[in-house]
Amino acid sequence: MAHLKSIAALVTFAGVGLCEPLQFNRDVRPILSDRCLSCHGPDAVNKGIRLRLDREESAKGELSAGRRAIVPGKPEESVLLQRIQSPNKALRMPPAHTGATVSAAEIATLERWIREGAEWQKHWSFIAPRKAMVPSGQNPVDYFVRQRLAKEGLAPSPAADRRTLIRRASFDVTGLPPQLADVESDESYEKLLDRLLASPNYGERMAIRWLDASRYADTNGYQTDADRVMWRWRDWVVDALNRNMPFDRFVTEQIAGDLLPNATVSQQIATGFSRNHRGNSEGGIVPEEYLLEYAADRVETMSTVFLGLTVGCARCHNHKYDPITQKEYYQFIAYFNNIGEPGRYLKYGNSPPMVAAPTPEQESSLAQLKAAKLSADAAFRAMEPEVAKAQAKWEAKLPADAAWTSREKLNAELFPNPVAFDGKGTMDGGDHAEFGFQDRFSLTFRIKSATGNGVILHRMSEDEASPSGYGLHLENGKLQIQFAIRRLDDAILLESKKALEKDRWYRVAVTYDGSRYASGVKLYIDGQLAALDVQLDALNQDFRRPGKLTFGGGGGWENKFEGEIAEFRSYARALEPMDAAMLAIREPLAQLARIAPGNRTGIQKHYLRQAFFELGSNSQIRETRAAAAEAAKRLEEFSQSIPTVMVMRERTEPADTFIQLRGAYDKPGEKVDRGVLGVLEPLPVNAGPGRLGLAQWLVDRKNPLTARVMVNRIWQMIFGIGLVKTVEDFGSQGEWPSHPELLDWLAVDFMESGWDLKRLWKTILMSGTYRQSSTVSAELRERDPENRLLARGPRFRLPAEMVRDQALAASGLLVDKQGGPSVKPYQPAGLWNENGGGDYKRDNGEGLYRRSLYTFWRRTSPPPFMAAFDSALRESCTVREGRTNTPLQALHLMNDEQFLEAARVLAQRAIKGADSDTVRRIEYAFRLVLARTPREGETKPLRSMLAYAQDRYRSRPADAEALLSQGQSPRDKSIDPAELAAWTTVASMILNLDAAVTKE
Amino acid sequence: MQTRRNFLSLAAAHSLLAADSSLPHFAPRAKRIIYLFMYGGPSQIELFDHKPRLAALHGTELPASIRQGQRLTAMTATQTKFPLAKSIYPFAQRGQSGAWVSDLLPYTAKIADKLCFVRSMHTEQINHDPGITFLQTGFQLAGRPSIGAWLSYGLGSENKDLPAYVVMASTGSKIGDQPLADRVWGSGFLPSSYQGVKLRSASDPVLHLSNPEGIDRDMRRHFLDGLAEMNRDQQSATGDTEIGARIAQYEMAYRMQMSVPELTDLSKEPAHVMERYGPDAKKPGTFAFHCLLARRMAERGVRFVQLFHRGWDQHRVLPTALPFQCAATDQPAAALVQDLAERGMLDDTLVVWGGEFGRTVYCQGPLTPTDYGRDHHPRCFTVWMAGGGIKPGVTYGSTDDFSYNITEDPVHVHDLHATILHCLGIDHTRLTFKFQGRHYRLTDVHGNVVKRILS
Repeated sequence: MAHLKSIAALVTFAGVGLCEPLQFNRDVRPILSDRCLSCHGPDAVNKGIRLRLDREESAKGELSAGRRAIVPGKPEESVLLQRIQSPNKALRMPPAHTGATVSAAEIATLERWIREGAEWQKHWSFIAPRKAMVPSGQNPVDYFVRQRLAKEGLAPSPAADRRTLIRRASFDVTGLPPQLADVESDESYEKLLDRLLASPNYGERMAIRWLDASRYADTNGYQTDADRVMWRWRDWVVDALNRNMPFDRFVTEQIAGDLLPNATVSQQIATGFSRNHRGNSEGGIVPEEYLLEYAADRVETMSTVFLGLTVGCARCHNHKYDPITQKEYYQFIAYFNNIGEPGRYLKYGNSPPMVAAPTPEQESSLAQLKAAKLSADAAFRAMEPEVAKAQAKWEAKLPADAAWTSREKLNAELFPNPVAFDGKGTMDGGDHAEFGFQDRFSLTFRIKSATGNGVILHRMSEDEASPSGYGLHLENGKLQIQFAIRRLDDAILLESKKALEKDRWYRVAVTYDGSRYASGVKLYIDGQLAALDVQLDALNQDFRRPGKLTFGGGGGWENKFEGEIAEFRSYARALEPMDAAMLAIREPLAQLARIAPGNRTGIQKHYLRQAFFELGSNSQIRETRAAAAEAAKRLEEFSQSIPTVMVMRERTEPADTFIQLRGAYDKPGEKVDRGVLGVLEPLPVNAGPGRLGLAQWLVDRKNPLTARVMVNRIWQMIFGIGLVKTVEDFGSQGEWPSHPELLDWLAVDFMESGWDLKRLWKTILMSGTYRQSSTVSAELRERDPENRLLARGPRFRLPAEMVRDQALAASGLLVDKQGGPSVKPYQPAGLWNENGGGDYKRDNGEGLYRRSLYTFWRRTSPPPFMAAFDSALRESCTVREGRTNTPLQALHLMNDEQFLEAARVLAQRAIKGADSDTVRRIEYAFRLVLARTPREGETKPLRSMLAYAQDRYRSRPADAEALLSQGQSPRDKSIDPAELAAWTTVASMILNLDAAVTKE
Repeated sequence: MQTRRNFLSLAAAHSLLAADSSLPHFAPRAKRIIYLFMYGGPSQIELFDHKPRLAALHGTELPASIRQGQRLTAMTATQTKFPLAKSIYPFAQRGQSGAWVSDLLPYTAKIADKLCFVRSMHTEQINHDPGITFLQTGFQLAGRPSIGAWLSYGLGSENKDLPAYVVMASTGSKIGDQPLADRVWGSGFLPSSYQGVKLRSASDPVLHLSNPEGIDRDMRRHFLDGLAEMNRDQQSATGDTEIGARIAQYEMAYRMQMSVPELTDLSKEPAHVMERYGPDAKKPGTFAFHCLLARRMAERGVRFVQLFHRGWDQHRVLPTALPFQCAATDQPAAALVQDLAERGMLDDTLVVWGGEFGRTVYCQGPLTPTDYGRDHHPRCFTVWMAGGGIKPGVTYGSTDDFSYNITEDPVHVHDLHATILHCLGIDHTRLTFKFQGRHYRLTDVHGNVVKRILS
């Protein structure tokens, strides 16, 4: 029965009258595509099947002596019809194992189409849209919609009343309910629209669907699902939309902002679009496998969002329905697999490539700090003559035995005299040198090994199953450096290429810059940089451990050290190469000072200068130097606090790309170059390099898809269903548009207007079609349940974020602040913990009341309210809007703390905002949510509830107190608790109304 | 049809269109399923897949002829030695059927004749997240519907006061517990009303189930009556029949406020039943507590109950962690099967026990007389099934002497899915949903029903 319904629906929207000739694209292609093409389509060649029903020449060509699948005008000779209707089960098409069947009505359509001449058409969405003539003075939306209505014998509905219309438009344009003043003024609708479109809330409303499409989230998505930082990209989107950046620019910057000439930071941030996918940091994954998954996710997102094509279906084989080959799929991959990212993402935070993405405020602070540093540096440099003079004086007075080693940021200093280790014991170094993975630090010492094996030092915790911390160790003379949480897969493991000789003293320095990468670790032997082999470069977590520094053994290694260690020093800074080089200097200070300044080596000069600064300089020099250091430190610390964004950044040498057989990462086939889909226009002449060319191709005027696909998604935002219902699929399996000429007109106009999104919105919202009442008669509902013919205005449940934002706005709790890090509003305790994901640290104050766009999105535990109300889950690109109706939603609206709080605050507002008349208060609260006055049928139950609750709470004050304790916002103590509690239940009822959660 | 799947989905009009009205496709052997998901990868070598030859080979290298250059996880890919590790736990043949079960699972051993052990399960996934995602959705990347969502979509609920698909999660040893994700029981591209509803051990088993303090049940009734009156007024003013569906959902929520606490209230369970499930059965949030709830849900017609128990990831310190895992799960899982059987419900309830992959025969980390660990192993693992439609007392499939490669009757994850659907009266090739132009199935384009384990 359900099946029949869907076919009936299909017929309604295709709108085939019996007298009207059939159209291949509208009437025939859907049947052939859905029932035949999985075998007789673009991938037929790989199945050894000759007949192609996606190509006219094959479908009408000779199969074998005189037999043709389709013989125009002659259904009885067409093998296609014979096989579909064959009484012989073995011969009947489609084969039983496919599960597909062709209905009698569909056979009749095929037969009629063949009889009428079997005229073939190129697939509609691959033909460039054309703008049909619209009589002047007519709104194009109304022109096309009414043409169709007339054909169906239907009339449009009357216009919606002003209040309903303004509430509808406010939600559509800003995602928020209207201000009462807007509803109650006599400002023209057009002026109001202009104001709404100019409001900064417009960008927020538009952005949220873009965030769904680009699978934006605040965590990495796999396993531990730790935080990432992408909100600067989110703010870029809001800002670009608010500035009404032309959509072609909007696309170009997001796909290829990094490749634009002299790309700005903002343009680089935009490319975060292609980095919003999940990143796997699980121990033991094969990096190559995930590198392919990341590129595949980018291709899938790009093709869904801009082309409306399911290109991902061509990953393992040629597309079954659309003319997209597997090779073309990997040509797309080649645009997106060349950014030098790690296959295994970092567990915490962003993974490279990324950019520092200061906010405008941070940028100005940064500029100030940079200027301050420049001037402090200049002041210090200006003292050079004075410094040189003072240094010469100081050098002259140096005692013969003067020695010096830098103590700048010295952390610990041990073993001034060599200490012997016998290969059996260890030595306690005390609670020193406690460093972690974001610290800069250095360890220096002298060492002489008798065996070439054994532990030098470590700060590892030994009580865990797998020791974690840091340590240095000798194995066959090679110096091993380990920073580890788990040696297997969460560590930096390095080994010197050259072995140290036995029984010889060396001066060793190990420095680390806090970068969390092996490249941030340096080893110096006798002042010279020593080459290291990287055994593992996969440090994910902080290795800082409480405890002690130990010399000579332990830390999970078996061998103990035999030999001598001396002059251990740890520094809370990464020594610069020159500092490390100074370690090689063996001459006493005074001896160096006797070398004439002109004859000193660079290192000697550096050494003497540093020694002078630490030992000899006067207070003026010291202070000026300290001021410069302080300015550098401030700049450095501030720079560290600036959020980053993961971005696209091209490697200079493009990676080779191969067709991966059956889509598997480890089965490379033919090598491919970058390229676009053959069924569409080629790359524009003078296309930019790589992704930039791809972006230019996407927004090229000749591209038949991008504008249509975007217009269609906006239509879906407004009317609930796209003109093409399958917003994600404009291919052969997608739905034929309900109003093809309208879609094309809007798409062409969109491009001709310079891709002006606000103009597109206004065109649709000014139409009579949009402004119709959404009230529906039983007859019309029966005829057109989904409102595809648009004989009435849109009416459907608000998206999740608007349901919540409305409660915040209507009550006055909303903190309407733009941008910034994501916030953590109310959610029941323990949800993250139950999945093994740590604690949810709820915000206090402002963070509870921001728009839902800014709610922190953890992929493995999405915000429960959003998930219950059909939000996209941000795992992968989602463009179709879902709407269900469940008891879980009812429970949220009735019992969720944030809705009870909103009800209380709304009640306060109603009590304070209207005089003491009950009905006027009810009306006021009602208007704050629904923009209209309640009907008698609505006022009565609210009054009844109020009376019931007043009675109840007066007799049970504790109940009133309990209800009023919901939420963190202060309660208006001037209102009697029983009264406020009773009004809270009334306000809660209003927020639970079907009308309240519905765009009418 | 609407009445059959009316929980959570009244308004999902587009989903109703897609569902196959011929469901079930044939007479089901099981009306419902309880799936005990052991997350982390339980070691088949210590539990079910007895390999006596390993005793003699203990500590020697895994022969290259067995490993066949198979891909390893990056955790042991850098390991230079692959010493074989025998199970340190004794095995015995159990019951009439003589199935091998180790001493780590004494309760399971006692009901071995009711179970069907499939020792030849295999998957392609070697890491937890893709592994569990594959077991749950038939695909390794997030985005497809979970098996419970498919069943909820295909068969709907038998109880109008409880969801069709309920999920409960418990933790294990806390050493190496793999985190779970909500999407594991998600609805993927199906409407969200088909997603699993998580029953929590918190005061509100379902999110926001309880009325706030200060609103009691009478007041909520008054509230709902008034709300319905206003909504009906709105329906007559607008003609929108969807409003009727919303009124019904509020009534359902009201009924759930009774039916869920009644479900989770174990006070009327007799003492001998509580004892059978073990001491943990009284502690909310434990696997034992969940097993008992699973039985109560089965009695109330919940279509698919899925229990996730974490902590089976024994890369190291296996001898400490694995007995702990077994102690927490063995008795309750066996009690559940026994309890269902005694109530005559095992005939139409399918019970499945298993993880997302197995573990390697070679040791990960140091191999000492008392300590060892095992890495992930996708090429063979064991699940057991019992009840509706499944032959009891059967051991199906076998592996080589190293529990490394399957030697007989391999069962792929897609085959397991096809078999589960078959037991519930569903032809896995015909339960489809059109998305992105494709008619998607749980089993993608694969899957064969394992006919020889069907009763």
